[in-house]
Amino acid sequence: MAPQAQSQRSPSPSQPSGKGEVSDLKMQLRQLAGSRAPGTDDSKRDLFKKVISYMTIGIDVSSVFSEMVMCSATSDIVLKKMCYLYVGNYAKYNPDLALLTINFLQRDCKDEDPMIRGLALRSLGSLRVPNLVEYLVGTLGAGLKDGNSYVRMVAAVGVLKLYHISASTCLDADFPALLKHLLLNDPDAQVVANCLSALQEIWGVEASSSEEAAREKEALISKPIIYYLLNRIKEFSEWAQCTVLELVSKYAPPDSNEIFDIMNLLEDRLQHANGAVVLATIKLFLQLTLSMTDVHQQVYERIKAPLLTLVSSGSPEQSYAVLSHLHLLVMRAPMLFASDYKHLYCQYNEPFYVKKLKLEMLTAVANESNTYEIVTELCEYAANVDIPIARESIRAVGKIALEQYDVNAIVDRLLQFLEMEKDYVTAETLVLVKDLLRKYPQWSHDCIAVIGNISSNNVQEPKAKAALIWMLGEYAQDMQDAPYALEGLIDDWEDETSPEVRLHLLTAVMKCFFRRPPETQKALGSALAAGLTDMHQDVHDRALFYYRLLQHNISVANSVVNPTKQAVSVFADTQSSEIKDRIFDEFNSLSVLYQKPCYMFTDKEHQGSFAFSEELGNLSIGVDDQRVEANDEDLLLSTRKEDSLPQQTQGALVSLDQNEPAAAHAQQTNSVIDDLFGLGLSSSPSSSPSPLLKLNAKAVLDPTTFQQKWRQLPVSTSQEGSISPQGVATMTTPQALVRHMQVHYIHCIASGGQAPNFKLFFFAQKTDEPSNFLVECIVNTSTSKAHIKIKADDESASQAFSALFQSALSKFGMA
Amino acid sequence: MPVAASAIYFLNLRGDVLINRLYRDDVGGNMVDAFRLHIMQTKELGMCPVRQIGGCSFFYMRISNVYIVIVVSSNANVACAFKFVVEAVNLFKSYFGGAFDEDAIRNNFVLIYELLDEIMDFGYPQNLSPEILKLYITQEGVRSPFSSKPTDKPVPNATLQVTGAVGWRREGLVYKKNEVFLDIVESVNLLMSSKGSILRCDVTGKVLMKCFLSGMPDLKLGLNDKIGLEKESEIKSRPTKSGKTIELDDVTFHQCVNLTRFNSEKTVSFVPPDGEFELMKYRITEGVNLPFRVLPTIKELGRTRMEVNVKVKSVFGAKMFALGVVIKVPVPKQTAKTSVQVTSGRAKYNASMDCLMWKIRKFPGQTESTLSAEVELISTIVEKKSWTRPPIQMEFQVPMFTASGLRVRFLKVWEKSGYNTVEWVRYITKAGSYEIRC
Repeated sequence: MAPQAQSQRSPSPSQPSGKGEVSDLKMQLRQLAGSRAPGTDDSKRDLFKKVISYMTIGIDVSSVFSEMVMCSATSDIVLKKMCYLYVGNYAKYNPDLALLTINFLQRDCKDEDPMIRGLALRSLGSLRVPNLVEYLVGTLGAGLKDGNSYVRMVAAVGVLKLYHISASTCLDADFPALLKHLLLNDPDAQVVANCLSALQEIWGVEASSSEEAAREKEALISKPIIYYLLNRIKEFSEWAQCTVLELVSKYAPPDSNEIFDIMNLLEDRLQHANGAVVLATIKLFLQLTLSMTDVHQQVYERIKAPLLTLVSSGSPEQSYAVLSHLHLLVMRAPMLFASDYKHLYCQYNEPFYVKKLKLEMLTAVANESNTYEIVTELCEYAANVDIPIARESIRAVGKIALEQYDVNAIVDRLLQFLEMEKDYVTAETLVLVKDLLRKYPQWSHDCIAVIGNISSNNVQEPKAKAALIWMLGEYAQDMQDAPYALEGLIDDWEDETSPEVRLHLLTAVMKCFFRRPPETQKALGSALAAGLTDMHQDVHDRALFYYRLLQHNISVANSVVNPTKQAVSVFADTQSSEIKDRIFDEFNSLSVLYQKPCYMFTDKEHQGSFAFSEELGNLSIGVDDQRVEANDEDLLLSTRKEDSLPQQTQGALVSLDQNEPAAAHAQQTNSVIDDLFGLGLSSSPSSSPSPLLKLNAKAVLDPTTFQQKWRQLPVSTSQEGSISPQGVATMTTPQALVRHMQVHYIHCIASGGQAPNFKLFFFAQKTDEPSNFLVECIVNTSTSKAHIKIKADDESASQAFSALFQSALSKFGMA
Repeated sequence: MPVAASAIYFLNLRGDVLINRLYRDDVGGNMVDAFRLHIMQTKELGMCPVRQIGGCSFFYMRISNVYIVIVVSSNANVACAFKFVVEAVNLFKSYFGGAFDEDAIRNNFVLIYELLDEIMDFGYPQNLSPEILKLYITQEGVRSPFSSKPTDKPVPNATLQVTGAVGWRREGLVYKKNEVFLDIVESVNLLMSSKGSILRCDVTGKVLMKCFLSGMPDLKLGLNDKIGLEKESEIKSRPTKSGKTIELDDVTFHQCVNLTRFNSEKTVSFVPPDGEFELMKYRITEGVNLPFRVLPTIKELGRTRMEVNVKVKSVFGAKMFALGVVIKVPVPKQTAKTSVQVTSGRAKYNASMDCLMWKIRKFPGQTESTLSAEVELISTIVEKKSWTRPPIQMEFQVPMFTASGLRVRFLKVWEKSGYNTVEWVRYITKAGSYEIRC
């Protein structure tokens, strides 16, 4: 951690450079190491403090490692603690030095002071050096049997740490069985809690590969263990209570008496000061009563008050976490919360994320009795200075209108929005009025009267413009100047950037033509003409289609564009009930906040993955897995666009634009020309083979396959390349290069390192066949050199690819 | 799994790491770069406190000039994580002696590392109780009981006390003078429409305690809440005394309160931790006494002039008074000149907040005060659009007044040595979000 922190920081004059200070410290430490004079400990303390502060602000103090270890031969616990901290920080990067510390850590693990035993054991586990695990096994075993609960508590987590360093060592030593014994017998609740956490994790991972572990995992939620834990619930710390309650929520009691017993036992947990405990209890109650409809409903009533209290106390972040859960419940059973709508009113100063959730809930709980008041309140927000909130509230009003039978008053309100003459209000309202008309065509008369007065010049947003144009076309006969308004819009065809608007324009002018032919004929002509020369494929195609349709048969054309429509009765629900249920099952977790089940953001194949093999370990993985993106979009229609990462959107756009083979071709030609000029390339142009190599812009490779292939394939090319000085200058993080290479259809799968050394893994695919190229690229920014290793499915093409890669690399920073 | 935080970072507003702790290896060390790149340097900051970047989720909150970021790689329990951060900050504050900010962090690296190691191990929260941690934390002069005492005395077993019957209190405390301070702090939230009807109104209250008591005392607190009184009259089988009773919508208690006993007998009985703590929290929505009534009239006279009249009435007892009353009356952005007259206090135009800031240091009960102002606006070239009026906001503190009407009926202290205690009770009502639309 510390060495990385150092590299991120640009050296500033106010910060000590560190070199002189560190060697000073080294000297002083060395002097004190052997001294036994009184007061030595105090001066040592000051020095240690200095070392730790340097370490924290990012100065590399690993060079005083051996002095620190020498000085730590002390009985002073303050010194020991600081020394453990220091060692824990640097051991990972200096495994050889870490070996030095094993001795004194092991000795401390046998100290007579239980606190020192505990601390030493914790530090030993935190060294995270794989070749030291052998020392860990013995001490952990002793620690678990220690007479002092502090030591056992540390040892229980220590087992989990060992498991993560070396699973096999942990299992071979039979630690899980020991943990289970402690879980069931230890008098100290924190020890029990730590054993539980460790066992849940270990068996959770092992369950997929070992039947025994799966059985053990099941055994954790068996009646004896659950009852044992529940009976001790009050001994546990608030955090441990969360763990236990979460475990209990997985338990399915065989009969309803048991369910009531558990709920009676835990009802007072709803009054706990810690909101996390309250939420965990709520989850448990909800899960227990899932099969008992009426009790389930009573549970809703019971948990309302605590939830509302949690929402209104604490920081906005905390209330956001709770509100998200309330949101979930409100969406599941809006009727139950209908009388509590006033709690959902927004305060003026609340942050956006809180207001947004509240608005959605207000929308959901609206029913016959409270609609008037809710809509009145929402109208207040529409006049809000905060534009995103104003937009959300208008949408909310519209949604309520679509749900209600008595829309009369709401339509009036919506139309009043248009009179506010604010661009964003008008824009949102237009979209809503359009949807409203699709569901309630009977309101067209009132709406059209108002819509007719809106000048299209005041409407800029594509969605709103499209909505207005749709209405102009659909109600052409009722709107006096519809043909002329359309004509005006068609005159500005060239300036209209949104293809969506142009598409709507074509359709609207067609509809209008059939209703008022003499007035629209001219406009139709110019629209078709403009459409036929349009750059956008869809617009062009639609214009052509209309043109041919009109040529073919006018009446058929009329029936195509102006069919008799049925009013839309229900708008599509965006999230399947299956997904909603899954989220509900994962109550009290991130799933609820993201509004998607956890497999969508934690599973390897869904997230662009975080692999930790030795090869790829420690490197961050580029978020460029478009396949995943697409997948998620499909599954998750409701995710707002803003949710997707800017980077991903960007990536998707880039690849769309370059999808056409022509672009790829041009790219290729370019690189060949670069080759000829020998721009910083070490490979000779003659070696590049003639057949052009085309890469797939949307290449997809998942990290596991990458790792497999990397292990299997031989190195086909290994070369030195160079990077332009400009490129080096911009390369403070690997991301700069990653983005650059992506333009050349070479995708990054993992990157990492710190200046001046970066390590990146790339892959690319041929356009026409699934043949992969894998690249390891080690960049040294101080020498401007890159060491490139290429492995390829198709060895014969590796030379061509190598040339391509190097040319792309050489252009880094030249743009 | 509950939290299993992979790392915790403390960053300053520029995004520099002040201090961090990596609990697990499942997130890369450059996570904080991702946070800076995707959240701090974009408009995202403040848009949502939970964000997913790559395979990791980031929870962040800002406290004074520090961002605290928790990174997790699993489907973690968010409420728990935020609560943990809040608790940890409270803990740090108790060690720093007040402020939690960038400077305090820079001055206490070693202490923070020590604390971070004790309160969380491998991503699982451990013990955050300040009382217990005092036994383990060596910095700031509080030394380990083990290191400071030679072994000739029997070593007090810290862990016995950790998990003994009373985990939050050390044994063997001695005070010369036994005192208990009880503060009832309420904040009133109000949202009133321009027509004077109450849209929403509630009170969130806290009972804060400061205990300086010897030994292991048992305390019992009686309030004038409805359920408690009814239960009591039921037990003593005599009719409820007349007088106001309060209906609490919801109550939560400090872990020291015996909840089983509360549920059966409706009394709040507990063995208090030493020093300061929050005994209970409650929420009330019915029968709230609003301390102030605000009657605004704002008239827009033509394009460039406005007339503002705000009348504020105090409706609490005549013997009481409110302190630090601030009333923010919104005016449009293009305000050019204002002339303000007030019957008490001082008022002036605050351009940065677009409001007339009216301050009254001491506002007696059952009185009335008015502000009348003329506001001149810069005439703008753009077509005049109706001004969206933000609500009038109000701040105040009223000592010895509770908006809920809650009162302490008794506070009893029992200790086996039978010493006398002095009890102090204070009440104060503050404005939460007190908004009046105009």
